[in-house]
Amino acid sequence: MDDRAIDIARLIPWLPALSAVVCGVCCTSRKLRVLAAPVCIAAIAAAFVLTLKAYPHVFDDHGHGVFHVSWLFTWIRVGGFTADMSYYLDPLTMVMLIVVTGVGTLVAIYAAGYMAGDRGYARFFAAVSLFIFAMTTLVMADNLVLLYLGWEGVGLCSYLLIGFYYDKPSAVAAAKKAFIVNRIGDLGFALGIFLTYHQFATVQFSELFQILATQPSEASTPVQIIPFLLMLGAFGKSAQLPLYVWLPDAMEGPTPVSALIHAATMVTAGVYMIARLFPLFELSPYALPTVAIVGTATALFAATIAMCQYDIKRIYAYSTISQLGYMFLGLGVASTTAAVFHLLTHAFFKALLFLTAGSVMHSLAGQLDLRHMSGMRRKMPVTCWLMFFGCLALAGFPFTAGFYSKDMILADTLQKGLTGHSTLYTVLAVAGLFVAFLTAFYTFRLWFRVFMGPTKYEMGQEHGHGADHHPDGVSSDIKVEHHHEPHEVNWLMNAPLLVLAAGALLAGYLAHHWIGDMIQGSSARPLRQAIGAHGAAHHATLFGMDLHLAMMYISSVIAVVGIATAAYFHWLNRGAADRVAAKWAGLVRVLANKYYVDELNDSVIVRPLRFIGYLCFVFDRLIIDGLVMTVGFVPRMFGLALRPAQRGALQGYGIGMATGTAVVVLLVLMVYF
Amino acid sequence: MMYSPDQLLPLLVLIPLVGGLALSLLPNQVVPAMAFVWTVVTLAVSVVVACLAYQPIDGNPAVTFLSSGDLFFESFIPWVDGFGLSFSFGLDAISLWLVLLTTALMPLVMLGSFSAIKHRVKEYYTWLLLLEAAMIGTFVATDLIFFYICFEFTLVPLFFLIGIFGSTQRLKAAKVFFLYTFTGSMLTFAGVLYVAWFNASQTGLWSFEIAQLARAAQAMSLEQQTWVLLALLAGFAVKVPLFPVHTWLPLAHTEAPTGGSVILAGVLLKLGTYGLLRFALPMTPIATVVYAPTIATFAVVGILYTALICWVQKDVKKLIAYSSVSHLGFCVLGMFALNTIGVSAAVMYMINHGLSTGALFLCIGMIYERFHTREMARMGGLARVMPIWAFFMVFFSLASVGLPGLNGFVGEFLALLGAFMARDVLGVGYAVAAGFGMILAAIYILYMVGKVVFGPVLIPEHDDQHQPPYPSGHTHGKHAHVRDLNAREIMTLTPLAVGCLLLGLFPTPLLSSLKPAVDKLVEPARLVLAGRPHGEATIDEVTTIIFIDPTVQHGHPQDPDAARHGH
Repeated sequence: MDDRAIDIARLIPWLPALSAVVCGVCCTSRKLRVLAAPVCIAAIAAAFVLTLKAYPHVFDDHGHGVFHVSWLFTWIRVGGFTADMSYYLDPLTMVMLIVVTGVGTLVAIYAAGYMAGDRGYARFFAAVSLFIFAMTTLVMADNLVLLYLGWEGVGLCSYLLIGFYYDKPSAVAAAKKAFIVNRIGDLGFALGIFLTYHQFATVQFSELFQILATQPSEASTPVQIIPFLLMLGAFGKSAQLPLYVWLPDAMEGPTPVSALIHAATMVTAGVYMIARLFPLFELSPYALPTVAIVGTATALFAATIAMCQYDIKRIYAYSTISQLGYMFLGLGVASTTAAVFHLLTHAFFKALLFLTAGSVMHSLAGQLDLRHMSGMRRKMPVTCWLMFFGCLALAGFPFTAGFYSKDMILADTLQKGLTGHSTLYTVLAVAGLFVAFLTAFYTFRLWFRVFMGPTKYEMGQEHGHGADHHPDGVSSDIKVEHHHEPHEVNWLMNAPLLVLAAGALLAGYLAHHWIGDMIQGSSARPLRQAIGAHGAAHHATLFGMDLHLAMMYISSVIAVVGIATAAYFHWLNRGAADRVAAKWAGLVRVLANKYYVDELNDSVIVRPLRFIGYLCFVFDRLIIDGLVMTVGFVPRMFGLALRPAQRGALQGYGIGMATGTAVVVLLVLMVYF
Repeated sequence: MMYSPDQLLPLLVLIPLVGGLALSLLPNQVVPAMAFVWTVVTLAVSVVVACLAYQPIDGNPAVTFLSSGDLFFESFIPWVDGFGLSFSFGLDAISLWLVLLTTALMPLVMLGSFSAIKHRVKEYYTWLLLLEAAMIGTFVATDLIFFYICFEFTLVPLFFLIGIFGSTQRLKAAKVFFLYTFTGSMLTFAGVLYVAWFNASQTGLWSFEIAQLARAAQAMSLEQQTWVLLALLAGFAVKVPLFPVHTWLPLAHTEAPTGGSVILAGVLLKLGTYGLLRFALPMTPIATVVYAPTIATFAVVGILYTALICWVQKDVKKLIAYSSVSHLGFCVLGMFALNTIGVSAAVMYMINHGLSTGALFLCIGMIYERFHTREMARMGGLARVMPIWAFFMVFFSLASVGLPGLNGFVGEFLALLGAFMARDVLGVGYAVAAGFGMILAAIYILYMVGKVVFGPVLIPEHDDQHQPPYPSGHTHGKHAHVRDLNAREIMTLTPLAVGCLLLGLFPTPLLSSLKPAVDKLVEPARLVLAGRPHGEATIDEVTTIIFIDPTVQHGHPQDPDAARHGH
């Protein structure tokens, strides 16, 4: 067993884990601190290389996907319940590993420059390494409990990294919020695991899929509940309605973290989970439609908010929520290929967008407000065009990566609507197209505002790139420059962006056949609802042409119109934008305040719960403890009456001991004689 | 191969006992060091015992002392022969692990106390060692009277530790603690004496051997069992503490000196759960089955109720104290699931809670030593000035909150799974309700971490003018006078952190060693369950089936976990 070539994949999570320990040691000494970045980059890159080495082994001789289970060590075994540290390797795992370790390496390289001079430098890379450990464990897990370990592990790293600048109360609050909201979803996930074990007596994927393959199509009610419980976990981690509230706040973290964790990898874990457990989701006739509806609703909801935000990172955060909504729509229409494809392309272009936003922020000393910058292309030409490519991909401009994947989701949705004569899916497809328009608009609203028009800018408040994080030692003089003039970032930071930009432009064209093969060879292959992208049922037509082709034309037009609208309002005639905003002031205010959801949550959930907490505390002190004290008071009265002269701390003890002994003696005597 | 491990158990009790008494002969300066040495020696002996227990018998690696579930290393020191009284010692996997927990925590408690205890040093360490002897005695006793003596004797050292070395309300706390737990355990003693009398009336022979009493007690009627169970709960549920008899705990924990809190949370509370496991389950199986849902309901209410209380605490030590009540609720819930998963989880939970909450109390103690306050409003952002301490604090908080990969998760997850799977006893509703405790735990722990560890730096100005504990007295260098953990403090916390990580990643050696012993304890209750018809059986039916129908009693327990093994 140990001589199998694929077993080298077992090392993938543990190299970053080792790196986390080493970086942790680096935290303790100022001299060692600089070592953290190279160690972390090397570990993630090595994991990437191992992924590539393991990659060929998940295909059989005919190129069809197969799975391997690679066992590492016994984790939990008790009373028939088994959850081991073992890994499930199939093409879906490989896609995820390539994304996680590939994008992870690039972001780590960028962060080596971005974080330079921060006093938490080593701590940052320790947390990133730990994150890669948890994330790779998540996507490689062979059982639900190990998946849960990775799941909560990435949540922890997210907590640590959102709260990285822990002097800022807002960062600490955001970190806490992320963890707790995720915990709510995780409760659903945990109950889903319990119910799965309850119903199938196993939590291991290989056994589970075997059982599910032979299940009758009419599943029992408890089995049908499982996907809904798991779904809760997915909605929490992937920031879908109603558990999306943590992600916008998560932007308090350093920007590379936003790119890696809150755009490219961790937030897609929910999509991965549903894709991985697709056979379970197919068991309920209501589960997948629910996923589709929630996904579309989230996409629309978040896109509208993104229209009226001014903070660059928050716009991208809402955009991420919206794009994740697309992925859930893809899953919901049983088009796992399209969903994972969008996950892949989104990882490239959204990481690129966040990192370029980080470059802007880096050179403007933390400035992120659209209203305080304009015409930056002259100051930062490379960043300008890198972000442009990312925006094109996000907007779904023809032949960019986002174009292919988003198109596939929408076409499959529409196809399901038309072939199945289902109004629901037709409506979802139209809503998806509308979101595509909004996306093109808000994306380029941002880009035109930042880079086009007259050059104006205000520097931010931060001296480094975290409040009060004075760089120490050598790098402080470099930082001083930031106060004077925005400038292009160095090539250590731009080089990884070039790779991401290439991905954002080309990944769609290059990968759209490959991804289909990968998904069809994995557990994400739809078994029961074979209407997937490349299934046989390709009969629907629109305007007399193949539906996929027709959809390409439609979404191209929508993207171009959206970009053109943004160009008019936010580049050529900014006054017009202000006039429109003034006319719709009420709506703009609601959107700018994110539909007041945070306020609602606070007053409906958080405050009442805390009030109940106070009530419980008062009840505990007054009623429960009061009763006890009253009961305790009665014998004390006797005691006082009998022995008024006795005082001292040991009195109670003495009485107790004496009574006790007396009772013992009495009982023994009674029994014995 | 002629070693005799049987003598090791009496030794385990005698070393701290004699060691503690011997401290009084020593000069004050060497007392802490000697106390530490004694606990290390005890730890070494217990590790030897553990190694022997895990050693294959007759060269067959599958057969160890642990694999049968029977008591091993039994020894007797006769006491009152004619009355069946003796000091009898014996171990099974459950007591072995709890002994290890005790002996492992003690040296760390000693280490953690070196700088905190400056006056009446001799008394402090003597009481701690006597306490250790009593706790070990409770776990290794196989004789009822011996058990009870040790169980009750733990109160005495703690009474003095709280009363002499505690903080401002120490006298009240000590008295409440003592009277509350003592009253409860008197009732418990009456209950077990009744069982002993029952046994004597049945067999004609007086015996106080716990195993014999358990066998005999199973023949009691439901009514008798119910009274015995109530008596057991009176003492043990107070000790756990189970909602609503928990109110002594926040006071005692908060007022106790750090070492006392660590022992209280780490081991003392487990005497309650251990007692329930050792007595209630095997002695009163019918009553246990009948009242398991009731007890589990109290456990679940306790989990949620105290978790909410934690969230509104202002005193960080009180918060951790209340969190113990919430945590132990999971333990009791798992135990009364009455299946292998749940009960194993309960035992593992005892160990986990001992490590992580004990460590949290140590961490809080280190803060208290520096700032002489535990009020969260007066401190904040300590990660900036004490990064090493912050690391440990966050680490143990995460262990406490049940992060997978650390120990807390395994116990909590399995306890919930056990409750979820126990269709015949508890079922889904209990697990779901208790599951919300996971969310609330995250809320209150992160609330505490967010206030104390993170956020803007806020250093409490300590009011203690007379003994500034910091060498550099100047205050205007902002945080210059706050020192991070020293080597001794790091050495105190590191073993606990390693333990949390090891048990989180490799819980199976522990869990699989527990299985035979757990199965043995659960077997009577499982038999009752196996005999219970589906649906709601009346109490008479249950009794009838158990005692009239002999085939049921000898049939195999319908363990759903065992049935599933074939997969």
